[in-house]
Amino acid sequence: MAMEGSGTFYDGLSNKPHNVAVRLGPTLEIVEDGRVLAGWPYEWVRRADSSDGSFRLRTLNGAELARLIMADDMFAAQVRKACPRLDVEDPTSRTATGRIVVWSLAAAVSLILTGLYGIPFAAEKLTPLVPLSFENYLGEATDKQVGTIFNTTACDTPDGTAAFRKLIGKIVAPANLPVAVRASVVRSNIPNAIALPGGKVYLFRGLLDKAQSPDEVAGVLAHELGHVKHRDSMRILIQAGGTSFLLGLLFGDVTGSGAAIYAAKTLTNASYTRDAERNADGLAIEVLQSLGRSPKPLGELLLRVTGPEDRGLMNLVASHPLSEERLQRMAAAAPATAGPPILSEAEWQSLKQICGPAKPGDKTNDKK
Amino acid sequence: MTDHVISTNGASPRRDAPGDRIGFIRNGGRFLHLLVRGAFLQIITFGFYRFWLTTDLRRHLWSRTRLNGENFEYIGRGRELLVGFLIALAILVPIYLAVFLIGIWLENVRAFSSLLLVLFMFLFGQFALYRARRYRLSRTIWRGVRFWMTGSGWAYALRAFGWQILVVLTLGLAYPWYARWRESFKMRNTYYGDAPGAFEGRGGQFFKRGFGLWLLTVGGLLALGAAAASFDWIRLEGKEVPRAASIALGAAVTLWLLASAIAYPYFRAIEWRWWAQGVRLGNVSLHSTLRGGQLLKLYLRIIGWVLLLLIGWIVIGAIIALIVHLGLGDLKLLLSETSARMKSPGIFHIAMLVVAAIFYLLILMSFGIVQRFFTMHELWRTVVESLTVENVASLEGVIQRGDATSALGEGLADSLDVGGF
Repeated sequence: MAMEGSGTFYDGLSNKPHNVAVRLGPTLEIVEDGRVLAGWPYEWVRRADSSDGSFRLRTLNGAELARLIMADDMFAAQVRKACPRLDVEDPTSRTATGRIVVWSLAAAVSLILTGLYGIPFAAEKLTPLVPLSFENYLGEATDKQVGTIFNTTACDTPDGTAAFRKLIGKIVAPANLPVAVRASVVRSNIPNAIALPGGKVYLFRGLLDKAQSPDEVAGVLAHELGHVKHRDSMRILIQAGGTSFLLGLLFGDVTGSGAAIYAAKTLTNASYTRDAERNADGLAIEVLQSLGRSPKPLGELLLRVTGPEDRGLMNLVASHPLSEERLQRMAAAAPATAGPPILSEAEWQSLKQICGPAKPGDKTNDKK
Repeated sequence: MTDHVISTNGASPRRDAPGDRIGFIRNGGRFLHLLVRGAFLQIITFGFYRFWLTTDLRRHLWSRTRLNGENFEYIGRGRELLVGFLIALAILVPIYLAVFLIGIWLENVRAFSSLLLVLFMFLFGQFALYRARRYRLSRTIWRGVRFWMTGSGWAYALRAFGWQILVVLTLGLAYPWYARWRESFKMRNTYYGDAPGAFEGRGGQFFKRGFGLWLLTVGGLLALGAAAASFDWIRLEGKEVPRAASIALGAAVTLWLLASAIAYPYFRAIEWRWWAQGVRLGNVSLHSTLRGGQLLKLYLRIIGWVLLLLIGWIVIGAIIALIVHLGLGDLKLLLSETSARMKSPGIFHIAMLVVAAIFYLLILMSFGIVQRFFTMHELWRTVVESLTVENVASLEGVIQRGDATSALGEGLADSLDVGGF
């Protein structure tokens, strides 16, 4: 068997080609005119990229750029046998690819777990640290945004406002809030109520029109106070920002990532807000119970507004818990002894009239 | 695409100066294999495989490019790109966060802060392009000596910003001088071992060669704008614009759009020939015979393949629908049943959704593969085969200098979505 071959050697110090003899000695010996230029220990020899069928080698313990180029012949086959780790780093090899896949999946799992548990936890801890002054700034900015979508002009009649103040006063006391609440009834015809960062609460006239008792309105407002108390807008802002970032990190520029990111974001953000809604319902139940009133009317109002909701798989992307589920929870929480009504019949009627008589022309007063 | 699979020794001695040969060994089949394999791996790794795929593709292109019988070698690794990406994140995330907070806190300066963000991202993008070139160059070796680069990425980014403002203000007429400055900045800082690079192209030369195309595209747009404005003027005066004139304007606009689309590859070819002519490395000089028609053909091939794929996917989709229809019952009924049974979906309905999602991913993947095959492999091949080199002998005995650069620029380019190869 030939123990010597020939090749071209670049020493990695200059681009001068050396015509060398290659010997399989104690190391892979590269010899020019009887002078040993380099001796490469076999376990450090690696293959270098070749495109013309030549056999190209490099070493890990010598000059980084040194290259030995030989014809791919019988002698090359012997060299290949002598170098045990020749292809160990080839990134297209099965083991290397497997390693990348496994680590990528591990990274994906850890990012998903961070999204599901880490981010809500961090948001929980971070929210109390956000200064109230910042939340107020945020609230004013949001207020302007809301004002461009809905008609948020306040409704104001002397009797109606007095009744509204009385109702708010009754539910604020047991709610135990960290900030002052500024609540008002606004003209928008959409059946909804919202809590802005910084303690502003809007009851939309559309919802007031659908309400049939003071208990229902008190329940809705107590629910919104729950959002204020838990600083939910702040928390959800932190959570949503965090998941957007994580998902961007995860999917990078895979083809079709836009759709994947959108789907994942909808699912996780919906699960965050559903939790926040459940907690706000919790406070509403607590407040109504302490006033000796049943929270069941709140559940009935919600169901009246949304209609039957169970939509199977689509429930996963809903931002609120099902109205049926909420009604069930509230009906179960009726207190044993009934307290006095929150508002007298006269006060209730003036509250209902706070925005004046319902006019068909008002239906279009939302700026869209 | 069987015609690209045939492997021939691409060095065509016909055009080359005696002694100096540059060429490309065609093996499109293997490149395509890398692309398809990479696309699947990207899906199962949530996209993380992109760093290794980029590396595989570059190693393929570099190693098949040969100068005087010795191939180039790309010695970068996927892991370096991953690290570069992570470092880029560490830099960009606080900036995004700061701009976001400023935007909320000071609502009245929100417009200003988003302008600031755009400016910042532009500068980072230019910086990233420069540093990414530096990374790629320092991972390129030939005959055991590396190419490398110096120069401040920020100095480049700031000046590039100024130049590009000038280009916009002059409606593109300043572009040749911007290109001259840009290439000269890059080549002045480029070395092969101890052989320095230089750029000797002149802006005026480029201007003369490209002015015709400028007249056709930008000049044509100005003329069309003037025509449309004069029609408005006539209408303001209360007179009627002749119907024939309106139709003529519409036709002119269509013609202009078509001509501009065709002009683009011709412009790129002019720029490339001008660049090759100006580049020096030691005493080595280049010459390119790249024609606009070759680039145009490349673009048309992309469009053709995308259309062909689209038809193919439609046919496959129709066949699947037909099989479902014949094998499982009325398709319309199945679909309406699926949407009605979202409440308690059976395995079959979930399977249908999953199949639809996979089908969608496959379609996008196939388009990505076509696009990359032509804009990387075929473009590279066309460009290399258009080149002739002279005076390579002057590089004999060049001494190794310069160090490898970090992949930060590549990471920034990846997260900012700029950058080419």
